[in-house]
Amino acid sequence: MSDETFYQGPSRTHLASYPPKERWNDWTEIESKAWPKREEHHYSLVPTTCFNCESACGLLAYVDKETGEIRKFEGNPEHPGSRGRNCAKGPATINQVKDVDRISFPLKRAGERGEGKWVQVGWDEALDDIASRIRRAIIEERENEIMYHVGRPGEDGYTERVMGAWGVDGHNSHTNICSSAARAGYAFWMGIDRPSPDHANADVIFLISSHLEAGHYFNPHAQRIIEAKASGAKIIVFDIRLSNTATHADYWVAPQPGSEAAILLAIARNLVETGRYNREFVRRWWNWEEYLAVERPELPRTFESFEKAFLELYADFTFEYAAEEAKVAVQPLREIADLVAGAGTRFSSHNWRSAAAGHRGGWQVSRTLFLLNALLGAIATEGGVYPNAWNKFVPKPIHATPHPKRWNTVTWPEHYPLAYHEMSFLLPHLLREQNRKLDVYFTRVYNPVWTNPDGMSWIEMFKEAGRIGLHVALTPTWSETAYFADYVLPMGLGPERHDIHSYETHDAQWLGFRQPVLREARERAGEKITDTREANPGQVWEENEFWIEMSWRIDPDGKLGIRKYFESKKKPGEKLTVDEYYGFIFENSVPGLPERASAEGLTPLAFMRKYGAFEVARNIGKQHEIPVPQSELEDVVVSEHGRVYTRAAKPAVENIVPLPAPDDDPDGRRPAGVKIDGEILRGWPTPSGKLEFYSSTLATWGWREYATPQYIKSHVHPENLKPGQMVLNPIFRLPTQIHTRSANAKWLDELAHVNPLWINPVDTEKLGGIVTGDLVRITTEIGHFVLKAWVTEGIRPGVVACSHHMGRWKLDDKGQRQMAATVGLDNDGSRWSMHRKSGVSAFKSDDPDTQRIWWTDVGVHQNLTFCVQPDPISGMHCWHQAVTVERAHPGDAYADVFVDTEKSREAFEKWQAMTRPASRFSPNATRRPWWFLRPLRPSRNEYKLPV
Amino acid sequence: MYRRPDGIVDFDKSICIGCKACIAACPYDAIFINPRDHSAEKCNFCAHRLDMSLEPACVVVCPTEAIIIGDMDDPSTKVAQIINRQPVSVRRPEKETHPKLFYRGAHQATLDPIAATRPPGNLYAWATQPQGPNEIGSGHPSPSHANSSAAALLSYDVSHKMPWDWRVSLYTWTKSLAAGIYLAAVLVAIFGGISWTSTLMRWVVPIGSGAFLGLTGIILIADLEHPERFYMIFTKHQWRSWLVRGAFIIGAYSIVLLVHFLASLSDNVVVQQRAAIAGVPLSLMTAVYTGYLFAQSKARDLWQNPLLPPHLFVQAILAGSCVLSVFAIALDLPSRDALLWLVSISALAHLLFVLSEFTLGHPTAHARLAAHNMIAGKYARWFWPSIVGVAIAVFAPWLWWIASFVALIGLFLYEHAYVQAGQSVPLA
Repeated sequence: MSDETFYQGPSRTHLASYPPKERWNDWTEIESKAWPKREEHHYSLVPTTCFNCESACGLLAYVDKETGEIRKFEGNPEHPGSRGRNCAKGPATINQVKDVDRISFPLKRAGERGEGKWVQVGWDEALDDIASRIRRAIIEERENEIMYHVGRPGEDGYTERVMGAWGVDGHNSHTNICSSAARAGYAFWMGIDRPSPDHANADVIFLISSHLEAGHYFNPHAQRIIEAKASGAKIIVFDIRLSNTATHADYWVAPQPGSEAAILLAIARNLVETGRYNREFVRRWWNWEEYLAVERPELPRTFESFEKAFLELYADFTFEYAAEEAKVAVQPLREIADLVAGAGTRFSSHNWRSAAAGHRGGWQVSRTLFLLNALLGAIATEGGVYPNAWNKFVPKPIHATPHPKRWNTVTWPEHYPLAYHEMSFLLPHLLREQNRKLDVYFTRVYNPVWTNPDGMSWIEMFKEAGRIGLHVALTPTWSETAYFADYVLPMGLGPERHDIHSYETHDAQWLGFRQPVLREARERAGEKITDTREANPGQVWEENEFWIEMSWRIDPDGKLGIRKYFESKKKPGEKLTVDEYYGFIFENSVPGLPERASAEGLTPLAFMRKYGAFEVARNIGKQHEIPVPQSELEDVVVSEHGRVYTRAAKPAVENIVPLPAPDDDPDGRRPAGVKIDGEILRGWPTPSGKLEFYSSTLATWGWREYATPQYIKSHVHPENLKPGQMVLNPIFRLPTQIHTRSANAKWLDELAHVNPLWINPVDTEKLGGIVTGDLVRITTEIGHFVLKAWVTEGIRPGVVACSHHMGRWKLDDKGQRQMAATVGLDNDGSRWSMHRKSGVSAFKSDDPDTQRIWWTDVGVHQNLTFCVQPDPISGMHCWHQAVTVERAHPGDAYADVFVDTEKSREAFEKWQAMTRPASRFSPNATRRPWWFLRPLRPSRNEYKLPV
Repeated sequence: MYRRPDGIVDFDKSICIGCKACIAACPYDAIFINPRDHSAEKCNFCAHRLDMSLEPACVVVCPTEAIIIGDMDDPSTKVAQIINRQPVSVRRPEKETHPKLFYRGAHQATLDPIAATRPPGNLYAWATQPQGPNEIGSGHPSPSHANSSAAALLSYDVSHKMPWDWRVSLYTWTKSLAAGIYLAAVLVAIFGGISWTSTLMRWVVPIGSGAFLGLTGIILIADLEHPERFYMIFTKHQWRSWLVRGAFIIGAYSIVLLVHFLASLSDNVVVQQRAAIAGVPLSLMTAVYTGYLFAQSKARDLWQNPLLPPHLFVQAILAGSCVLSVFAIALDLPSRDALLWLVSISALAHLLFVLSEFTLGHPTAHARLAAHNMIAGKYARWFWPSIVGVAIAVFAPWLWWIASFVALIGLFLYEHAYVQAGQSVPLA
């Protein structure tokens, strides 16, 4: 017994937090339901990864050895990110697995699209039908008519490579309704578009979000933030709501939405003005010389003149100005600046959605926040912020696929050359504008009809004859989008599929493995399973095997050159299996894993099947400070500002995490580093090799005024509001729901099921004394919706907020019965209206809990009434809305929605008119800066704009 | 429910009859009936996990390690160090349960369920408030009375169900009748108001009391979550419980009534009179033990009332004399006037008890809220008709059987208002 692993828990007692790993193959547990009778059950404990949010926390499935069923999910103590702990959404995975309304068999549309008539079909029939269409499209060079649209990918590169193998620029994501703005802000600084804050070691943590309860990497980050707080760290939170995060803050500021960048610039200015910043770091690592050269050529090229120029640039950003813009008191801003100044390099900050996702120019929020890190030198330091690419590990796959020789202008239109990334939510408008069609359109665990703004335009797109040839919804559960599909193909939930992934939860690199737990449990029991469908419920499949099979059927004889990427390496000509795919990766592409596995007498694959995760490295340190070895320096040329180019070939890397690709010099030398104080160091993957205070990219692509971090007045800035309008924040999250993914979890639905309008008593008074529960009508640019008021002082006056998980609907009885209301949908030309026929109610099923559904209200769907508002630079949908709030009109009923899609189109045109398209502004006749990150990067030739 | 050697209060579902007295007693509303097996359940610190040397599930899952467990008697443990060195709070220390669940850094509004205001509109910030006659949501229903100087608003709650519904109200009423018919008759008989050989004494008393006692038993069993296990009250009893003691009292009293009835069959007044030596105290105890049962419901401040036993005695006499007077009127017996006066006097006494209870004020906020709910809140629709009904009965000597009927209805309404209002205060 004493040789067994003891997982010490937080109580620091003799009690372990998890069963010892030595007994995971046969763990005996006393049955809680039989208590106090000691009824023993035997379990196989199989790790997998949660698939509810992007954090990818470890789960440990308890598979009953007698019944072969999953009993429950607990945390996986071997997972470096989540460290065994989970939020409510992790253990609730069991609800999703056992959901009585889940889709268990492939379905094919029987009536008209959207009519709700379905017949069960076999996988073969579906595969053949879809594959033959794709094959035809490829042969007829209509590759751009194939599109794969993904919500949360939850994997690193698998499906991108499928598209690459097909030669299709068909990857479309949800990024532009999520994180494009924040990404752009970070990318302009360091090339890499995500931050990795080392919260646990910070002295000051600056959060522009409700990060502790709902942010990206919520569970891994929350535990580390609280760890820091327990050791004395101070927390600053900007949030218009008194969120749970705000309640844990030492400073909570609820600024006028959109004014965040003004405050951050005032703090930055103060740090420089008072000399409380890391002068040496800034001198070494900012591209200040380039800034001076371009913008202030009259000044001597010294750091002192840059300091002067900096203060001149931000002369307007006094605390007084910031306070006026933010409509908050001045004093706390000064105190916050003092706190920031005192943090030194132990300053972690984070902004992912929140203000960045809310506003036109929101990308300047993350950019100005990171400016503080850049001033303090709190970048890649203990307690600072790392670029995510350093805290993430992506292994090389078994086959490298080519870059597509196509450019899809529906996802990468010329108006948005700097977008991060695909202009996904504009799809209906762009297809119409470009008069394009899609022959095969996959939506994968993605629900644009519900999630995206302007859902009625999506419905119109699906209903318009000829626009979408075949819509295939890959989903484990019903969604509003799946109703408008031609095939609904059930794909596995987190514990029913294979994926690998790695996320920047802290200063380390780890690799997580998601696996179908029943398959693994049965393999442990001696069975041989070659297809995940054998182990999954019903005929639920997984995408890995699905894409292999699909690709074989697209190219059965291999003549299209596709099949080879889905063939076995050991036995060429045979189909690749998931065992070989992952076995290869774990054996050949993950440093340290084979050694670690063999120390336990396991193959690398068996090790990952047993533990579900592997830590590749920790304490990554300052990669930018690493000197470039002499071997990489050949025929070196150093640019005016110190960029070092070499002819030496790029050394092979183990970690193929996507990195920006700064351009070669005109003679074809590749950038290898940057010269700092006479030393050639790795630097940053930016054009200058340094942290870019000054973005030559923005300057040369038509946005010179924003080449430095600036404050852009939002589309909902008070100056842009009509009299009486308020700002609606429609994107705040709850800790116990996740977008449209968790409606199939009964525990989560019981906890949270409505989204009333948060409104301050100051505002309700203006509206004539509205009280909680009263109906109010919110009018947006394209329509209105009706919901209940939640009167609270926990929101800034003048701002209203409505959480975005609720208001799920179904058109008939098909679909979720515990969280989706049944609605009627009426259409008259471009005018659409939706009214609630009934809420949810208890029903009989195999699960007695469905008879205990006590709630009837499931909230209101607000996103339908939002027009598209793409930021002209980042491409981010600017979520916040200028709205009119009034008492419900006579005849208004709860959850009514009205939309005029004609107005949606006008809004699309209006926002598009703000852009500076590549055709007019590209400095080099390309569609997009080559060095920018881009999923499924096409070959370089495709970047050229058509002449 | 039982205490394990390590101090954990644990439960045994195999012998739970589902009487819900434990729920009524728990000042934290920590106990509930599991709808799957209809047995009482509570947090037992995941005893099944502790016995496997694992920490409780909540400790393990919490992302921020906000919950820990340990032996507070061992000064070296982390919990002991926190409890002994830092300011910690417990919930409802005034209940003197010495809870072993400590909170660090808790705000008053999070510890006191009526400190914050319960929002209107059946809403919380992201959920609805469960509706239903037995649902008790947290928070104070009246914004002006919420016990928080910070004007806290309740944003979220998991509502609790009150354990005892109309069946318990009905049981207190039928039990009042069962005890009162016999007790009132014997007491009046002792003073010569009723003849021991009258029809009232021979048949109405044993059959009436017996029938209502039988009904009481049926209602009590019907109220159990596990009616089929009712016999366990006698076989697996827990002597400290007044529910058990009451069951034995009722059992003993039913024997007296049976003896009385059998003696009536054989016209044996002497046996009846001797049986009354046991019968009077047993019927009295049948009437008043509920006061002790309610007092044992430590969670319900309204019921912590030293006057409850005498009040229950008065109610029993009122109920009994109402039934007896109706029969006396119907049979035109000489005891009629005495019984009608007894109705009148006991009705007046009842009203005085009610009046003193609700004019004197209550020592705790919980009792005040319960009383408010009864007089001016949700249960006023039962309470005020009950007062009118019993007030009418004061005029029984002139109104005859009408008064008796109205008084009986009034009594039931009062029981219902009192039993429900007592449970209407959120505890968690």
